[in-house]
Amino acid sequence: MTRYLLRRVPSALLVVAVASVLVFAVIRVVPGDPVATLAGPDASPEARAAIRHDLGLDRPVTTQYVAWVGRLLHGDLGTSYLIGGDIGTLVRHGLTNTIVLTAAALLIAVLLGLVLSLVTVIADKRWLDGLLAAGNTLAVALPTFVTGLLLVLVFAILLPVLPAGGVPPDGFVARPDIAVQYLLLPALCLSLPTAAALTRFLTDALQTQLREPYVLTATALGISRRRIVLTQALRNALPSTVTMLGIQVGVLLGGAVLVEAIFAWPGLGRLIEQGISSRDYPVVQVLLLLSVAVFVVTQLLSDVVHAWLDPRVRLGGES
Amino acid sequence: MTETLVVRERGATAPSTGRHRLLPALLHGRGLLGLVLVATVVLLGVLAPLLAPYPPNQQIAGANLLGPGGAHLLGTDEVNRDLLSRTLYGIRVDLVVVFVAVPLGAVLGGLVGLVASAWSWADVLTQRAFDLVLAFPALILAIALTACLGAGLTTVAVVIMVAEVPVFGRMVRSSALVVREMPYVESSRVVGASTWWVLRRHVLPNSLEPVIVQLALSMSVAVFLEGAMSFLGIGVRPPSPSLGSLIKDGVRNIYESPTFALGPLVLVAALVLGFLLVAQALSKARAQ
Amino acid sequence: MRFHSGRPFTSKDVAFSIETWADPAWAVQFQRTAAAVTSVDTSRPDQVTLGFDHPVSNIFDLLDAMPIIDEDSIADLKAGKSYVGTGPFEFESWTPNTEIEFKRNPDYWGGKPHLAGVDTKIVTDPQSLVSQLRSGQLDAITGGSNRDLEALRASRQFDVEELKGAEQQVYVGANLQNPQLQDVRLRQAIAYAVDRPRVTNDVYRGAGYPINVPWPKYSPAYDERLNHRYDRDVAKARALVKEATQGSKGATIPLEYDASNSDTEATAQIVQANLKEAGIQVGLEPLDHSQFIKKLIGAKFKGLWVAIHSYAQWTPSTLAVSAYPFNAEHNASHFTDKGYLEHSNAAWQVTDGTGPEAVSSYRDISDDFLDNLFLIELSVIYTQVAHSPRLHGLSWSKRQEIDLDDAYLSKG
Repeated sequence: MTRYLLRRVPSALLVVAVASVLVFAVIRVVPGDPVATLAGPDASPEARAAIRHDLGLDRPVTTQYVAWVGRLLHGDLGTSYLIGGDIGTLVRHGLTNTIVLTAAALLIAVLLGLVLSLVTVIADKRWLDGLLAAGNTLAVALPTFVTGLLLVLVFAILLPVLPAGGVPPDGFVARPDIAVQYLLLPALCLSLPTAAALTRFLTDALQTQLREPYVLTATALGISRRRIVLTQALRNALPSTVTMLGIQVGVLLGGAVLVEAIFAWPGLGRLIEQGISSRDYPVVQVLLLLSVAVFVVTQLLSDVVHAWLDPRVRLGGES
Repeated sequence: MTETLVVRERGATAPSTGRHRLLPALLHGRGLLGLVLVATVVLLGVLAPLLAPYPPNQQIAGANLLGPGGAHLLGTDEVNRDLLSRTLYGIRVDLVVVFVAVPLGAVLGGLVGLVASAWSWADVLTQRAFDLVLAFPALILAIALTACLGAGLTTVAVVIMVAEVPVFGRMVRSSALVVREMPYVESSRVVGASTWWVLRRHVLPNSLEPVIVQLALSMSVAVFLEGAMSFLGIGVRPPSPSLGSLIKDGVRNIYESPTFALGPLVLVAALVLGFLLVAQALSKARAQ
Repeated sequence: MRFHSGRPFTSKDVAFSIETWADPAWAVQFQRTAAAVTSVDTSRPDQVTLGFDHPVSNIFDLLDAMPIIDEDSIADLKAGKSYVGTGPFEFESWTPNTEIEFKRNPDYWGGKPHLAGVDTKIVTDPQSLVSQLRSGQLDAITGGSNRDLEALRASRQFDVEELKGAEQQVYVGANLQNPQLQDVRLRQAIAYAVDRPRVTNDVYRGAGYPINVPWPKYSPAYDERLNHRYDRDVAKARALVKEATQGSKGATIPLEYDASNSDTEATAQIVQANLKEAGIQVGLEPLDHSQFIKKLIGAKFKGLWVAIHSYAQWTPSTLAVSAYPFNAEHNASHFTDKGYLEHSNAAWQVTDGTGPEAVSSYRDISDDFLDNLFLIELSVIYTQVAHSPRLHGLSWSKRQEIDLDDAYLSKG
């Protein structure tokens, strides 16, 4: 295992290193200028030159890159040009909102997935299977902006019972009852594709379990189908389901960008949008690098879990 | 690389062309439903000049933000244009994206994947490059590319192509690596077949089936991506309509009348759902 | 009178503020006016005497717009850590990208403010801005969409105020380096072809009025007759296009705009349709905000552009010396004209910004605009503030800053 990790980690680090150069270069290649945005159209050339100097943008690009990486390695994320404030604070703030949203979506997905698949498997009715399959396909197929807008349309405009967007004014902790109202629509919208994938996966896994010999024994002993499913089959199907959920977390984080835009949710997705449109170089660099790092780590983790489960991969890695 | 061992490829024992097995899947059940959904939307788009009551960009005097009904079934927009006509014409943008950009991305990705499977140095290079592209969420890639290239239909198409290349690249590479190890391929190499010949004769035909399924899936993703890009304001250039930009404009006035966004929302849903059903039917047919 | 830090405010602080404002590295607005101040006499702590080398007609605009800056805390101000001033509310805290909090300054020289404090929330989505006002989370908002503000006003449950005195203008700019736009007849055709009332009414929902010259109606430079010189006349526009192009079909002229602003996007689409009617083919090119500003200050537009300017609400001479699109020495249109340069300097260097001498020089400037049409005005537009009926006494500066000196909240 250690030798496997030793082989995979350097290559993952290499991807992050190359990505750091890329994100640094890409945002500078994109036409536009943070100084122009900051100074506004009526500023004098002298004012712009002074701002450029203050931001250190008049130094050679390589010097800027080295300085940036140096600060990053010391844990200093830098200061935003246009949004204002240090990026650590901005990221923490956005990350909190994104994580709350993603966690709520994950919770809804797990609840929906568990209930739906258990009901379907225990009831064992053909029409229920069909209904579930249809609902599943819809939930996977409909883009988040379609479901999101439909939810807003129904629950915020036609029957105005829930807020159409934004975060709870008093935070998540002080008034949980209000926080739930704000979270419900965006989290539900974000959770649907994951809930569908989970339901499908768990239903399949449970049905596979029910074909195992121990179930036949249990049935012969007169134990009810419900009990077998809830005690035995579910326990056996859970490990693979958890692995699958791990992959879904990445999907949820990716989907958050759009859901945040639909529901005016000030998370990381909105922050990166703001950063790119105003050419706030330090913000964009940090966030893009962060997204690459998250991706690389999830890849690595899923490879490791996979290698752990499947000895052939480990052997292949060492040959 | 280690990933090769986990791939289990069906139908790889003999060269077969997938189309004969896959086509019937589209003639019944969900395959048929998907096909009908897609065909209906495509037809509406193709026949837009016949069906639309007005030219899509005509600004009609006095018709400012009218609700649905009367001369304008879906109402009119902020600059006095008939929304039904714009919606019908808007389908055409998505058709370009779906039937041009996705196949182009697939061909490009497929070629890269084939090359990668044949030479190990190319493999390492492309795998890391794919990692990088995949590491950026598609929408962030879209935002960055649009800032570079400027907004427009071409940019939307390029974004979708770039996003699809690694998807198809990995897929073709995986099946190619499996096929190469098959006994009949090895034997043909023993009798002196060139790498290119092996790729063309054995690898390509065997990659075709999964690629066709993925094509349908990617087409549904492409409709989604066009919509999402326009929704974020980085889609086609005004005044040309696209389903995504119509949704975005409609949402601005959603409190005025929910119907402004409804037409394009339904069409996007139908298109995406249709492609997904087709993909599901095809992949089920493959598995049997 | 004291700073928030408790330090007494003296004439030296005025001198320091003017000096800082004149520094090209710092100031944006009225920097040239501040730089025209050649001496500041601060021998008495409660009196300031300014010296100039030549008369400056908009000196009072500078004094109106310039904040008093505290020398002791200027480094913190630049770093965004504090804001020490002399105003009715003191800076309390700042959460980046979320909110800024102010508390009452009990020692305010204008009398103790009624409000205990002000929380400024940053809400980037116009729709959620409006819904937060509707649900009572916010008392006042700026930045709602025109359509939503119109609905708020119609509901009679909220007050919507047009910030009169802080006008902006939406216009079509023309880069005179574009070969087609070099011909003034084509620019005249554009001026005749655009449907200004439609822009005012359909896009800005009536919050403004159509114009040919930049001045708001109360400006000493305003002239009703000049404002109708290019009233819409499509036939005339067509004839001018025919004359300019000799019947040959010219290349499509690019029209660039800031895509992050849905109002200029709608305006650009109306202009495109208007010009098509007159026989001018225009292609729309949306840019993101940063690119747009960069092209504007770099004077790099390919042909036409739609944008918004300000500055016409001040002493009229300010427009030609401070607003970049009108700057006689260097502007986004690449328009250079000896007469215009002379007229704009003459207007700036009169003593009385509203006297007859000044008014006649404004007249010359207006004629320069209308004869040369390096930019074509469409409409005056008002920024609007919507607020709950329990908020009273709201006012604002010419720079669109909300002023809550005398504001108070009533019960219920």
